[in-house]
Amino acid sequence: MIDVDVSQLTVILTVSGAILLVAYLTAISAKDLIRLLISLELMFAAVFLAILPLFTISPATGYALVIITAFTSSTELLVLVTAIILLDRRKRGMDVEKVAVGGDSL
Amino acid sequence: MNIETVIIAVAGIFAVASSIGVLLTRDNFYAALYMSVTMIFVAAIYAVFNLQPVVVIIALIFVGAVGIVTIAIAATYRARPSRQVSLAWTAPVVIVFGILAYAYYKFATQDLEITGQGVFPAVASDYFFVVVFLFSLVVLMMLSAIKLARRVDL
Repeated sequence: MIDVDVSQLTVILTVSGAILLVAYLTAISAKDLIRLLISLELMFAAVFLAILPLFTISPATGYALVIITAFTSSTELLVLVTAIILLDRRKRGMDVEKVAVGGDSL
Repeated sequence: MNIETVIIAVAGIFAVASSIGVLLTRDNFYAALYMSVTMIFVAAIYAVFNLQPVVVIIALIFVGAVGIVTIAIAATYRARPSRQVSLAWTAPVVIVFGILAYAYYKFATQDLEITGQGVFPAVASDYFFVVVFLFSLVVLMMLSAIKLARRVDL
């Protein structure tokens, strides 16, 4: 049984917010899909820190959320790796500027 | 301030510093490395609270699997580094961070207590269908990704 005092809680949530904001800043300034993938993983790191206080209320729910986050992150990696492969095949590059519009062409 | 708070603060500072490294570096390979380092420090914060299953999940899945795949992809496509930081967005981000930090400092007034650290084995049975559905989702996404990748000609 471990106490999380106010200072620790403040540090954890502040670090979580800082990592999330840095990840947002990285995402909006990303020029290729790989940097976008890395910024999304950073967002998941911030989510992990934000989950930590939940263990003080309901540990089982906290563990379940951690597992769901891990699955979500793995699926996101899968989708983005596929997107990287497809973009490289079609556009011969990783730059997000190569994608001018969304959707499939008929 | 006790020793645990100091350890958490130091790990948090290193985590934020390495995440800033992701933002500032021009090479995708080093950005992926910094991201893995950030994950390790997040796992270290969990280790302080003796939440070992979460430490193992982060170390094995996020650093061991997702991190390594990201590093491998970043090492493959590291040929065209470019400046990533958009300075116009820095000021709003700093202001939002300041408001967040002040809100946490102002409104966090009650100590919390982590209990039930031995409940992790029960999670698999309590959330059995959630885990099964998530496995199904990942398999479905994998099959869809393979089908999509094979449909596009070289």
